[in-house]
Amino acid sequence: MFFKDWFKINDKKYLDAISTAGVIGLHMVSATVVGLAMGWYLDRWLGTKPWLTGVFLILGIVAGFKNVWLDSRRLLKAQDKEDAEKFGPKDG
Amino acid sequence: MAGGLPHPVLWSTLLHVDEVTIGGATVEFKHVFYTWCAMAVLFSLGLLVRGGLKLVPGGIQNVFEVVIGGLEDFVVTNIGEDGRKVFPLLGGIFLFILFQNLLGLVPGCDAPTANVNTNAAMAVFVFLYYNYQGVKRWGPGYIKHFMGPMWWLSPLMLPLELISHTARPLSLTLRLFGNIRGEEIVLVLFFLMAPLVGTIPVYFLFMIAKVLQAFIFFMLTMIYLKGAFEHAH
Repeated sequence: MFFKDWFKINDKKYLDAISTAGVIGLHMVSATVVGLAMGWYLDRWLGTKPWLTGVFLILGIVAGFKNVWLDSRRLLKAQDKEDAEKFGPKDG
Repeated sequence: MAGGLPHPVLWSTLLHVDEVTIGGATVEFKHVFYTWCAMAVLFSLGLLVRGGLKLVPGGIQNVFEVVIGGLEDFVVTNIGEDGRKVFPLLGGIFLFILFQNLLGLVPGCDAPTANVNTNAAMAVFVFLYYNYQGVKRWGPGYIKHFMGPMWWLSPLMLPLELISHTARPLSLTLRLFGNIRGEEIVLVLFFLMAPLVGTIPVYFLFMIAKVLQAFIFFMLTMIYLKGAFEHAH
């Protein structure tokens, strides 16, 4: 059956890689947006107009970069595992 | 309908359930109706397979065994043996979203995931669920997951982690919504320009894209659960 073969051959490895790559962009943006929104509402609540928005925006950007870093580490790890299967374990 | 474009024909319009009035307030009901359609398809498939379980699988049981078995292997290689405990939820999410997405390709139906409310509900549920699993597993020590690797970094890491955890349901919602809604709009546009001749080629492209989106939602849920299960740094 076509579907069965497709599921077996791909072994979800490529699907996994494509998904991780597709996820990276929005992870960065959404963390930034959440940081901005948090700062905005905290400012409105506490009446400290521009300050918390800026601080939380920067925190959001940093969190976004952290997400990107974690995602790319995940991609690299999968790549290393594949290489290890193909060429034997890496030395050093 | 899809971005203000007229949808050719919808079953929900024929059945007069586009909008319902609950307690005096008129609310949009289309996506709920089609969510129920997807649930009905899944339930009847499930009952059909359960009713005809055989030792030597054939036909539809074969398909389900391949899909569920493959996904379970995938989850167990990623999370470890803990994955078997949460696999019913993960597999359920994958199949549910897959059928909801593919419903958009059925003539007269609309994908419920093209409405942001359906996705937000699922994303918030995933968010609550993985935090619940984390608290259940680690108790009050779950807070260490938000503290970062070193204790003196924790005042910096706590807001950072809080933001990146809150961003998770947002990105889950927006990704699924944006992709499926965009595909629906393109489908309607192609249908308006060249009925049938234009739509059939993009059907195959979107079939792949919709499976991929369901898989992405499933995979992210799995990664979040993995993060909640594993030891904090």
